[in-house]
Amino acid sequence: MTGSLSVLGAALAFGLGAIGPGIGIGMIGSKTIESMARQPEMAGRLQTTMFIALGMTEAIALLGFVLAFVLYGA
Amino acid sequence: MAAPAVTAAGAEEASPLSKGIARLLHELEVLPLNGEKAEVAGSFSPENFVLTNYSFWLLVAVVLMLVFFIVASRKSQLVPQGISNVAEAGVEFVRNNICVDVMGPEGKKYFPFIATTFFFVLINNLLGNIPPALPGTGTVGTTFVWGVIVFLVYNGIGIKKNGFVPYIKSLVPSGTPGWLAPLIFTLEVVSHILRPFTLGVRLFANMYAGHIMLGVFAVFMAISLEHFTPVSALVLPLSFVMQVLLRVFELFVAVLQAYIFTILTAVYISGALHASEH
Repeated sequence: MTGSLSVLGAALAFGLGAIGPGIGIGMIGSKTIESMARQPEMAGRLQTTMFIALGMTEAIALLGFVLAFVLYGA
Repeated sequence: MAAPAVTAAGAEEASPLSKGIARLLHELEVLPLNGEKAEVAGSFSPENFVLTNYSFWLLVAVVLMLVFFIVASRKSQLVPQGISNVAEAGVEFVRNNICVDVMGPEGKKYFPFIATTFFFVLINNLLGNIPPALPGTGTVGTTFVWGVIVFLVYNGIGIKKNGFVPYIKSLVPSGTPGWLAPLIFTLEVVSHILRPFTLGVRLFANMYAGHIMLGVFAVFMAISLEHFTPVSALVLPLSFVMQVLLRVFELFVAVLQAYIFTILTAVYISGALHASEH
């Protein structure tokens, strides 16, 4: 029955690991929109910075995703 | 009852869903082109250096990229037409929106490396969206090695620009109290070493996750056709719609991930260039 436990672990690893980055990406998006509304002339540079921050936040969620597959295979 | 399948979750016979998922994972596995997986005898033994399904499609992508740019640049003219217009728009985007925006005017010097990274990743990502093809970037081998190349390049640029000792010293910002310096230094070294990992894993996981998602809905469709019940009438159209939507989303992700990979490369090079300034 260890198989089913590791499947549960995989689901938990991804599910719980996605909470933090989910909140983070939401905050990045909302703050960028807010800043763009305040200073539309900065939109281009804000967007570039947003994508950098987005990439870094997303990586955390994806570590959970990879871990899920490691556990699924275990 | 037959011996339980290895991938089956419980002692029961494998459900159609877990069988479907197992087949899906098998489809996405890295396998040599000539069929069976070789016996693993040390990862670096010569018989493991074979053309796999992923590296085959990677080569196809590279050949496509070469053909595209050779054809596009063959007849260069002041007002580009057709295919060279597309190529010029892409190249200009990389030069203006990635190189110059992130690194300033001196970023133009590193344009060849940045552009190679961008178009390599982009064409590999996009090729993965054409059904028989696999994305060359969908395996951790390709992306991690590209991450290591980026790591070597930006550190090389930093050392060349600042000199070895000042570059290493610049890991600790000036004005740090002496007792804190070793801690900051260790943290900075760890964060630098993690960069190729995160670059590689981000790209790989995005491509892999996208194909898994598409595959899962394909498995749903296959199961609901095989075991037709009233629920299938609901699951089948929903899965189909999700497939179409996800495919569009995957195209967007392919471009976005190429952009993020390249812009992070540019940020790292820019950080190495201006290392001695802070």
